[in-house]
Amino acid sequence: MRLLPLITAFTSLLSLAVAQKSTNKHQTFADLASSSKGSKGIVLLNDQLFGDLTGPNRNFTSVVLFTALDTRFGCVLCRDFQPEFDLLGNSWHKEHPKSDGLFFAVLDFSVGKQTFQRLGMSTAPILMLFPPSNASPGSDQPLKFDFNPSDITPAEAVARWVTASSKHTVTIHRPFNYVKLFSFVGGIIGTATLSKLAYPYLAPALYSRNLWAAVSLVAVLLFTSGHMFNHIRKVPYVVQGRGGGVSYIAGGFSNQLGLETQIIAVVYAVLAFSAIALCLKMPRMESSSKQKIAVMAWNLVLLVLFSFLMSIFKMKNGSYPFFLPPLIA
Amino acid sequence: MSTVKSILFKDPASTESTRSILRVLILLTIAAAAVASRLFSVIRFESIIHEFDPWFNFRASKYLVKHGFFDFWNWFDDRTWYPLGRVTGGTLYPGLMVTSGAIWHALRMISLPVDIRNICVLLAPGFSGLTAFATYLFTKEMKDSGAGLLAAAFMGIAPGYISRSVAGSYDNEAIAIFLLMFTFYLWIKAAKLGSAMWGGLCALFYFYMVSAWGGYVFITNLIPLHVLVLILMGRYSGRIYVAYSSWYALGTLASMQVPFVGFLPVKTSEHMAALGIFGLIQLVAFVDYLRGQVPSKQFNTLLRALVILVTIVAFTGLVTLTVTGVIAPWSGRFYSLWDTGYAKIHIPIIASVSEHQPTAWPSFFFDLNMLIWLFPAGVYLCFRQLTDEHVFIIVYSVMASYFAGVMVRLMLTLTPIVCVAAAITVSSIFDTYLEIDSPQESDDDSESKKPKKEKVKETGGFLSSKAPYIGIYSITSKVAVVGAFSVYLILFVLHCTWVTSNAYSSPSVVLASRMPDGSQHIIDDFREAYYWLRKNTPYDSKIMSWWDYGYQIGGMADRTTLVDNNTWNNTHIATVGKAMASSEEVSYDILRKHEVDYVLVIFGGLLGYSGDDINKFLWMVRIAEGVWPQEVQERKFFTHRGEYKVDHEATDTMKNSLMYKMSYYKFPSLFPPGQAQDRVRGARLPSEGPVLHTLDEAFTSENWIVRIYKVKDLDQFGRDHFSVSAFEGGKKKKGKKGGMAGRAAGKRGRRVARI
Repeated sequence: MRLLPLITAFTSLLSLAVAQKSTNKHQTFADLASSSKGSKGIVLLNDQLFGDLTGPNRNFTSVVLFTALDTRFGCVLCRDFQPEFDLLGNSWHKEHPKSDGLFFAVLDFSVGKQTFQRLGMSTAPILMLFPPSNASPGSDQPLKFDFNPSDITPAEAVARWVTASSKHTVTIHRPFNYVKLFSFVGGIIGTATLSKLAYPYLAPALYSRNLWAAVSLVAVLLFTSGHMFNHIRKVPYVVQGRGGGVSYIAGGFSNQLGLETQIIAVVYAVLAFSAIALCLKMPRMESSSKQKIAVMAWNLVLLVLFSFLMSIFKMKNGSYPFFLPPLIA
Repeated sequence: MSTVKSILFKDPASTESTRSILRVLILLTIAAAAVASRLFSVIRFESIIHEFDPWFNFRASKYLVKHGFFDFWNWFDDRTWYPLGRVTGGTLYPGLMVTSGAIWHALRMISLPVDIRNICVLLAPGFSGLTAFATYLFTKEMKDSGAGLLAAAFMGIAPGYISRSVAGSYDNEAIAIFLLMFTFYLWIKAAKLGSAMWGGLCALFYFYMVSAWGGYVFITNLIPLHVLVLILMGRYSGRIYVAYSSWYALGTLASMQVPFVGFLPVKTSEHMAALGIFGLIQLVAFVDYLRGQVPSKQFNTLLRALVILVTIVAFTGLVTLTVTGVIAPWSGRFYSLWDTGYAKIHIPIIASVSEHQPTAWPSFFFDLNMLIWLFPAGVYLCFRQLTDEHVFIIVYSVMASYFAGVMVRLMLTLTPIVCVAAAITVSSIFDTYLEIDSPQESDDDSESKKPKKEKVKETGGFLSSKAPYIGIYSITSKVAVVGAFSVYLILFVLHCTWVTSNAYSSPSVVLASRMPDGSQHIIDDFREAYYWLRKNTPYDSKIMSWWDYGYQIGGMADRTTLVDNNTWNNTHIATVGKAMASSEEVSYDILRKHEVDYVLVIFGGLLGYSGDDINKFLWMVRIAEGVWPQEVQERKFFTHRGEYKVDHEATDTMKNSLMYKMSYYKFPSLFPPGQAQDRVRGARLPSEGPVLHTLDEAFTSENWIVRIYKVKDLDQFGRDHFSVSAFEGGKKKKGKKGGMAGRAAGKRGRRVARI
């Protein structure tokens, strides 16, 4: 009965000591975070510090990036992600200079080999969140962040993740991109100057009906022969066909290859040109015999190419019942 | 010879009346052909509304004729988007429903009480006849009435347009293409004559177009672009000024009367081009006026500086307003036309729609056949003449080709101009080769050439044809060319008929298949299931399904849905996606919170119907992931080798998802043990099917395409459904003789696997 107050006193003393210790640790990292040179708000770790940071009795959350920035390792993703992570640390540090229980830390492979080995990490970068160990039992397991390569703003994604998985709300303050602004303004001024200077030379071309006609026709031909499909779906130019040969025509109705669309565009162009020749050039020929031959020739070109087009289409769409002689697929 | 000729080919002036009668007859025939070729589906199946969106339009039309116009205008629909509801009257384009409503009333007035459904089914073919007429008028302005008739014929039967206007395809496009062509015709007329009356008429039809289809933005941008190009070419004239100003002022004010459009014409980037050109043309007109009055050279320089300054200030102001958010930037739907990768990353709900995919070349050829290569030739011919209206054709051609290349759906806007350009080409060829008079070859004098000499503009380069026009000498050449083109035209008609009959005439509500003996077998699972819902569930029950089927459930089953094809609320759709993609524990909670009574899934595994929900499943996952990236993750639905599998290799997340369970529930029991096979994905399924705890199978259609599940009520003893089924399962194990009691749970059609 008399023991009870004693035990209580002892326990409270112990917990105080632990709290004191963890506060010390917290203070240490807060100092480290605000003092570390280069990027403020990021604690640069080594094996020793990592042990402290993730040791028992911690009352703070830490987000640790395991990375390998050295060029020897050739980790492109690490170098791409580093500025984003710095931005994350900076943003937090700007809002919370005393870090308020959330640390962003980096452990590079070159100074933390043992930790990498201990944790069995063979890839980088890895981003982990260590929640406070004294919050509630069972909740102190570290969490791992899944990198999404298609994410264009990883810092925001990480911020969302940290916000979702800890009690801290992280907001990103992206610094205004002055370089982009200046290059944009410079680009406009440059273009304006250049066009002013070049105007006397370009003006004839600008007002040339032929040029515009050519550009429009090429555009129409490209678009109607499926160029945008190639561009969006990034289809291959040619593929390896069966038996080692090269296949120009993709099988299937809603599929195509790069070369295939070019063939089609050329066929369309020649067909259109023969139609133009028939209705414009032919009636202006002086000699009747020459005209007769030319009309027949263009007529034949038209027939053969249209027949070729139909046969390609039949190849793509097997159930298509029509064809045009002479080419029957 | 000459007497025959004089009888057959009288002086044009005297045969004018005959010609106009012929023209009317030909146009009527074309209209009849256009209507007739769209009736395949009515003849083969029945007078039925097709696809998905038409079901909503049909439902709205029924509401309109039942409740009247004012109720329709203020319609708040509490039977969709449960529990949010939808302000339907203010979020739809009412033009289509109002048109069919007006026809319905007009027919009643002359004592012809036609069912509104028949009007809806036949509206699109009817309007295709009018489209042919509008195309005739448009092309007549470009060349002559011969080309106009050809263009009308092409337009009447081109599959690119038929695809959206067969009988039963009661969608906005049904009337919109007619309005598009007619507005363009009126615009050309206005620009040619410089008449405010034609400009006002153009604005009136523009208003009709705005009230009918979201694609009106195409007109809103194309007309200003035409004007801009004309100004840049130095072709500004008073005519353009009058036409554009009257069209823009009246048209914009009129378009703002449509509730769904409202203040968009002054607030969004899509409409800013029209506003900017309106400002520019005022400036240009001002300068033009002053130039006539004040000849001083210095003053002109000053004026030019002023114009440039005002333009820069206006442009900067526009940019500032956009950046600060007063003017909304390009909406995602339109923006994704320029930045083609945008939708896939940011708006999966748009990228998921199959008609928003880019177009491969066979689709162009399929929809337009020989017109597609006559099209560039027509554009070239326009370049040769290059009057103001030809500039319009060129601008339209380039823009529409680009849009059609980016999105399959926009083939629809390309088709009219292809028909027009191709008609110009064919008619030019026929003009040359159908001339019965042959020139005499003479090398000394130009006596015979003189009357036919054409004034050719000197342009130089490949557009030039400096030589004088002579004609075709030999009859053989004429016959050969005309013969060849006649064959091509006949082939074109055959192609169009074949395409229409085979590709564009199935209602998609009813699937048709061939029996081994060649007879037609109709698979009617959808209507069977919807009818079951209509007859066997309480009127206010809520049905959850993927949004594709929302309109059909609303239209055919008349039950409340959670999401539908309107897709106005991405989060709500993502909620449904999450419910489908999550495990039963999570889903049941969502289902209860949304008071869902029934869940409907489409399953094609038995029949080999590939448009089923498992194939759409990844989009559900993606859309849900966009809103809850922590809870739904696409990667977890792929095996570690990155494959999308449904067989025994499927991931646990996949196997536990509600969608998987509902699709394959009891499916393996159809087959001998270990033989269960999914015919769509060609996968052999595990012999043990998934187990459902929180849902009961309520109905499965004849060919298993539609499966409906009832959400279980809360347990009476307050247990969760997992412990209930564990408890009951344990009991069952003791008295194993009980047999499969689960079978009795739902009514089921004949279970015959038939392909």
